[in-house]
Amino acid sequence: MKIQFTSTRKLWYTALLVFAIFAFVPMHGQSNTATQKGKTIKGVISNDEGPILGANVTLKDSNMGVVTNEKGEFTFPVALKTGDVLLISYVGYKTKEFKIKDNTTFIELTIYEEVFEFTGAPNSEKRYKSKRSN
Amino acid sequence: MKIIYIFLFIFVFQSNAQIADFEAINFEKADKIALKYKDENLSNLPLLSYKLTSELTTDVERFRAIFKWVCSNVSNDYSMFRRNMRKRKQYKDDSLKLAEWNKKFKKIAFQKLVKKNRTVCTGYAYLIKQLANLADIECEIVNGYARTSTIEIASLYAPNHSWNAVKLNNKWYLCDPTWASGVPNPTSYRFQFQYNDGFFLADPKLFSVNHHPEDKKWFLLENKQPTFDMFLEAPVIYGNAYTYFRSHITPKTLDNTVKQHEKVTFSYQLKIPVEKDEVYLIVEKNEHENKVTPEFVAIENQKLTLKHTFKYRGYYDVHLYINDDLISSYSFKVEK
Repeated sequence: MKIQFTSTRKLWYTALLVFAIFAFVPMHGQSNTATQKGKTIKGVISNDEGPILGANVTLKDSNMGVVTNEKGEFTFPVALKTGDVLLISYVGYKTKEFKIKDNTTFIELTIYEEVFEFTGAPNSEKRYKSKRSN
Repeated sequence: MKIIYIFLFIFVFQSNAQIADFEAINFEKADKIALKYKDENLSNLPLLSYKLTSELTTDVERFRAIFKWVCSNVSNDYSMFRRNMRKRKQYKDDSLKLAEWNKKFKKIAFQKLVKKNRTVCTGYAYLIKQLANLADIECEIVNGYARTSTIEIASLYAPNHSWNAVKLNNKWYLCDPTWASGVPNPTSYRFQFQYNDGFFLADPKLFSVNHHPEDKKWFLLENKQPTFDMFLEAPVIYGNAYTYFRSHITPKTLDNTVKQHEKVTFSYQLKIPVEKDEVYLIVEKNEHENKVTPEFVAIENQKLTLKHTFKYRGYYDVHLYINDDLISSYSFKVEK
């Protein structure tokens, strides 16, 4: 059976086509804005014994950051974009830098302890007294 | 000819200059920022580093804000220091136990640092390095030996102190945040904050009198690096020496033997102007002390020279004072 294109039908098809184009364009636009505005980054921070509570995850050169929970997990409070650098730090551990890549959504990182020994000589203003005597 | 002298002067001046390299920079803004964030804690170092440095433009100012903050907010825990020294001494011949103790102490030390803002030297040096590195400033912890009036030479079988080297405008400088932060209270012996700016970008020559790095490159002295024996024999210099001097020239040793009626020369390179009548010696003998105006005082080309003669034989302790500030100590055996 041959489909007959009536003018009404033509109009409907055109409308549908226009709708489809418009529907597609904003969608495409939206995904573009998404790359510019960024994405939510989650992750888990551990040390050699497992996930750690209280590690700092900070966006480099900013005051934005978050602290890991008792499972070592974090969700970065602002959306991040490709090329942003996160600093993962914990007092006594070497700070790690992590650069957000195109496909980054979840970060799993292990941080390692600083290797050094604590020493410490306090200064003294106490006047020196020699043990030599007359 | 004149031009050559001018160049020579500039060259000599620059090679000696340390904090003087930054004379044109006023640290008021950096110091204000350090003060503004005095209630910040240590649980988030990247954030602290950002707060201290983001409003400043030069690296030296950024480093200054970090140094000033650490030295004004972190206290030196003497009981922690003593406990550590005791254990380190106890285990000094048992490397396994020593390593175990070091691991345990590191944990305790970092907890105290974050929760109570208290630490020992390495903690200061660690914080300075971390905060500076987070601000993209090259900075290292320097481990080594340090001497004060109360440190026994016998206790220097292993490194006992840590400080920092920092790279600013492509040049390395030395600082000692622990000693810049304060000293024990003379009566209670508890730590009290008393910022000493002399330990910020100190002159390496003076620094080497009572700081001896394990790694020789951190002397920052290309030649005339003192040997370990020279360091052990060196006179005692106090925090104030860092306010007044660029270098300590003579006497080279703490214990000296001289002849009766021999003229003894004391000489120093000055960092700030000093008046001749502000300089005096306290000479101690047999529990008696005398304030003595040196028989000769000269200040020429920023070099301070004093002379003193011992009239009688015996043992003396001699202390140099400028403006009633205790600067350095020496002991003399005076023979016939």
